[in-house]
Amino acid sequence: MEHAPILFILIPVITAIIIYVLRSRWSHYLAFFAQIIVTVLAVIYYVDIAPHFVSGVIYFIGDWDVIGIPLMNDRLSAVLVSLTIFVWWMVLIYKFRPKEAEPTFLFFLLFLEGVFLGLLQTSDLFNLFVFMELTTIIVTILVAFKKMGSSIRAGVYYLLLNTAGVLMFLIGVVLLYYTFGTINMLEIRNGMEGLAPGHTVVGLAYVLMMAGISVKAALFPVFAWLPRAHGVAQSAVSALLSGLIVKGGIYLFIRLNGMFSPADFDYMDFFFFVGLATALTGSLFAMMQKNIKVLLAYSTLTQVGLIIIGLVSLDDYSAGLLHVVHHALFKGLLFFAAGIIVSVYRTKDITKISGLMRSMPIVSIFMIIGMLAITGAPFMNGYISKALITDALYDDPLRYYAVFLVNVGSAAAFVKLSMIFFGPKTLSYPHKNYAQIVPLAVISLACFVFGIFHESLGEILFGFDVSAVDPFTFTALATYIVTIAFGFLLYHHLIRPDRKGVRRLRRFTVTFETANYLFVIYVAVLTGFFLLL
Amino acid sequence: MNPILTFIVVLIGFYGLATSKNIIKSVFCVTIIESGIILLFLNLGNFQGGGIPILNGEADAIVDPLPQALMITTIVIGSTVTALSLMLCIKLFHRYGSIEWAQILRREDVE
Repeated sequence: MEHAPILFILIPVITAIIIYVLRSRWSHYLAFFAQIIVTVLAVIYYVDIAPHFVSGVIYFIGDWDVIGIPLMNDRLSAVLVSLTIFVWWMVLIYKFRPKEAEPTFLFFLLFLEGVFLGLLQTSDLFNLFVFMELTTIIVTILVAFKKMGSSIRAGVYYLLLNTAGVLMFLIGVVLLYYTFGTINMLEIRNGMEGLAPGHTVVGLAYVLMMAGISVKAALFPVFAWLPRAHGVAQSAVSALLSGLIVKGGIYLFIRLNGMFSPADFDYMDFFFFVGLATALTGSLFAMMQKNIKVLLAYSTLTQVGLIIIGLVSLDDYSAGLLHVVHHALFKGLLFFAAGIIVSVYRTKDITKISGLMRSMPIVSIFMIIGMLAITGAPFMNGYISKALITDALYDDPLRYYAVFLVNVGSAAAFVKLSMIFFGPKTLSYPHKNYAQIVPLAVISLACFVFGIFHESLGEILFGFDVSAVDPFTFTALATYIVTIAFGFLLYHHLIRPDRKGVRRLRRFTVTFETANYLFVIYVAVLTGFFLLL
Repeated sequence: MNPILTFIVVLIGFYGLATSKNIIKSVFCVTIIESGIILLFLNLGNFQGGGIPILNGEADAIVDPLPQALMITTIVIGSTVTALSLMLCIKLFHRYGSIEWAQILRREDVE
């Protein structure tokens, strides 16, 4: 069982290669089989190492000692690895067609699972770079998979911008190797304990690595690839990208801040404002969109901003990690539902879709559950993590109301989206694929379970105390209703008339060279902040 | 070779990314950044008169082998990225008849 960490990486990758070589009708069953093995292995392994979660269990590939590549599993990795396996189950079930198999698609899907599980476990900086770059390449192929003009241009945009970011990260790795003579994250952390404060080379490495990760996590000035890529990919892939792959950047944000914690770079205020700017931009642009998938993609930006705010406002990563898990659940649900809606109505324009409640009652109910969860309704999982984040800001009224504004904007976007439920039935085609309903039902159930049994689940799964949040109070309900009411007013008076400003904002895009220009400026600002400190 | 020079190569790459309006040039700029990083890393492990890191019993003054091992991997990844993005460029040229970012991103969706 001690070899489980490397098997998490190898089993999906080897299965992917077998699927690609055989190209049989049974490819999908093979994928399920690999998924079952990985799941069983994960359960056994994590139950086994649960007592050592605080310090983490290190596995060296190939029995090499300290000089080998280490894979580390602690609580953070374990939660995200389990979440990854769960989301991949959902995507595989969603894509399941009994009669036809898509071996090429499954090859890239399973390969991505192996690589992403490696990214979540590795404790070696260069290995991390390799996994980040592999994720970027495979995601590009998955985004461009439909071979439409729009998806290919989104793929190139994504690939080149993210590669620039990852290379920035690599310069940071080089500088750290130059200083400490090792690329093992734990060794570097130990080496930093004896370092003089304000070490220039280490500070520069921190700045460059954070800049690279900001691109992967789509933080404020370098988010332009996200709505593009997530808006045009297949719905199952969008669910995967928004739910998980973006969280790879956030995971690295937590990990690297942990690694640099002895050096004590105080960037928390800086990243608070970066997170706030990300969330506000996400809300603002989500409100304006007409394309259902681009709207959901911009809403991911809002949630990423909230996660960053949660990570830097609290002393530990509890609220941020909780929101990572919750967001993966409800954003997956919304993208899956959106995929069904798009396939039935054959359009992505939400002004052309109406009467969904009558034509597809079951999908509508699941979609409503997802929308309640993402806007933070009590009894749903979204409420728990959002309440944890806002409670931490309660002492600072300015920040508290800024986050409230973000929530109002997000509510307005989803009020706009909810208009598809009402009105007369428009032309639609029948939906016969019942396998696609299964993931919707499972994730909806999970949204409720995580919302209601949050205390015991938080204790068992995440190992921290969330009993401070109580969804069964009048204040919780009142705050939610006020948020939605403001959101509705915003929608009714500003967005529905579709004035010139709204149309202009909707068409707003960032060109590639501007995106890179913003990236360079972002690095310069980070560096300047370090030099001023 | 001076590490400062390799940094300048990296900066040229980023300057090119921020200014070039052509996809092919953007791909080349990413390659230039990568070459700069590879040179930088190899520089740090190297010194004048260092032997090759293959030990035949005696361990004399050898260069640091780790950067070389890592940079091989970086070169492989870099060539993958270049190949993939050039392939996508060809597809884009077939769809849109142009390799200028502005012209490609401005168009509405093409099937």
